Amino acid sequence: MSAKPRIGIYGLTSCAGDQLTLLNCEDELLAILDAVDLRSFVMAHSANPEGELDVAFVEGAVTQQSDLDLLTDVRSRAGLVIAIGTCAVWGGLPYLAGKGTAISQHIQVDFSIPGCPIEKSQLLNALSALLHGDLPLELPYPVCLECTIRENNCLLQRGEICCGSLTAGGCGARCPSHGVACMGCRGSALDPNYQSAQQILAKYGYTPEDILQRLALFSGEGFSKEGERVG
Amino acid sequence: MAKIHMDHISRVEGHGALTVELDGNTVRDVKLNYFEGMRGFESLVLGRPYQEIPPIISRICAICSAGHSITAHMSVEKAMGIKVTPQTELLRELAFLGMMVESHSLHVFCLVLPDFFGYAGVADMAAKYEEEIALGLRVKKAGNLVQEAIGGRAIHNVNLTVGGLGKLPTLPQLKELRQELQKSLVEMEAVVDLVAGLTIPEYEGEPILFKAVRPTTDCYGFFGDTVLFSDGQEFPADQYTASFQETESEYSNAKPSTRDGEAFMVGALARINLFGDRLTGKAQEALAKLAIPVPSTNPLYNSVAQVVEIIYALERSIAICDHFLEEGIKPEGPVEYKVQAGTGIVATEVPRGTLYHAFSFDNNGRVTAADVITPTALNQASVEKEIALLAKSQIDIGEEQLKFRFEQLVRAYDPCISCSVHLIRLA
Repeated sequence: MSAKPRIGIYGLTSCAGDQLTLLNCEDELLAILDAVDLRSFVMAHSANPEGELDVAFVEGAVTQQSDLDLLTDVRSRAGLVIAIGTCAVWGGLPYLAGKGTAISQHIQVDFSIPGCPIEKSQLLNALSALLHGDLPLELPYPVCLECTIRENNCLLQRGEICCGSLTAGGCGARCPSHGVACMGCRGSALDPNYQSAQQILAKYGYTPEDILQRLALFSGEGFSKEGERVG
Repeated sequence: MAKIHMDHISRVEGHGALTVELDGNTVRDVKLNYFEGMRGFESLVLGRPYQEIPPIISRICAICSAGHSITAHMSVEKAMGIKVTPQTELLRELAFLGMMVESHSLHVFCLVLPDFFGYAGVADMAAKYEEEIALGLRVKKAGNLVQEAIGGRAIHNVNLTVGGLGKLPTLPQLKELRQELQKSLVEMEAVVDLVAGLTIPEYEGEPILFKAVRPTTDCYGFFGDTVLFSDGQEFPADQYTASFQETESEYSNAKPSTRDGEAFMVGALARINLFGDRLTGKAQEALAKLAIPVPSTNPLYNSVAQVVEIIYALERSIAICDHFLEEGIKPEGPVEYKVQAGTGIVATEVPRGTLYHAFSFDNNGRVTAADVITPTALNQASVEKEIALLAKSQIDIGEEQLKFRFEQLVRAYDPCISCSVHLIRLA
């Protein structure tokens, strides 16, 4: 990489929540802008020279030809492409609407940061690793682990369809820590134990379809009909 | 000079293009094309259980997610006859105000101010005006702190539920929040001075037809049961289909609206025009100092009106914190309710203007019909009309300058294009 890495930030079809998460790093934003050579960020900047990039961050799902054109163009110019947010990583709600696909369906993705929206901490850690010429660390645990560390009461055991045991960690178990069942907005965990979650929920009268319908909200193509992780 | 085309308007949320066709000194046509991919929200909620509706609908837009979430909660509750407690209403309002501060600050400081100082964005502007930008970011952060404290997350809250909240904020949390809000309120004085010193570019405009929700009380506010136009026409929120007409656009993924063919404007400037005389305290002082011409003919003052509303939202948030610091927080969970069939139609004032949510449910609480109308879609006809007026009056300034002025004008409306294309196109 050159002294200041050339960065591009792009949005396909999405709510812009992952780009906004960067803009919400109010304490760090000016330092970040100083540390990189920002080549494109149309949401926040008018003059965008584009050209070759060291790292491209891409938010959103592919729902139309112009999304695909932009994505292909970005891939051709970027050293690394990082998918930010559940829409880009899994297809998210646009997938559920029958219109969107994850960007990995179309191009090679070098790293994924899931979340709806992504967590500030994970974004900052990723930026920090990239600035040091390294790839960010993937978080190998589910929301359930973070929830247990926080000593929350288990909502699954209470009979609520909580997706925490099947969902990628990194959010600090936000929802269950507020007494609200995890909706799986970060997509599938690395090695989800669907059978176990299904057995527990069966005790409370829930069917596999109930669980899958909840998982399908955000995980897009992340789970198969058998509840196994895909991709 | 026959056609001016801008294929991607920058420093707005989402994807929009503008085409202006000129014939000599005549403006032939203005097309604002919101080409963000169709989102399909209204169809994807069909058949889904009522509890999922607010978190799904929240994903229409990140910047005003709290607005979508709270409006959807109100719609679900109205449909099922659920009455939340005054404490829940106040805490929701607090989260809503946090969004107002965050959204308006993002727009004013990061997206609009660079235009007035001749920069392409905050990154460039920060090199010379670091303190101004840093100040703006601190105010924006205060809005996000509120959203995090009440909503559990700044974007797409996790803590608001049907009937109440998952977890209640603590008094020490509210005390700390109050301190941060107070700091921002003081800092906004410098912002008012800065903005009062700016020259707002003018063009030969016409009186604008404004529209906003009439606040329930005699105070300024964002919640109410009727919607008022600036020519005096007033409609109950649930009769929105009678108060304006949505049209299918051949070139845009959003549905523009007019009232009997007449464009109207919603947003901060509309609210200030209709209800600005209700402001008190520092917001009232700011309004006087910023001298927004009322009735307004120039939409560029919308960003100035947003500055006034940031101050209003900070003061009102502080008042809500004070209320709880005096009265305490009641340890109450969400209210008990019975799932039942019904329709709930609610209008609120989100940062960019009036937002309508209309959801119908069956006896099992599953969605049978959904309609969401966003302020950016409502404003589309107004933007096109004003672009035509601007082009007509400033045709001699040359294409480059015109493009700059067009973009500045579109930006003044603070369009949220992700919001506006939430619907699915019917074949």
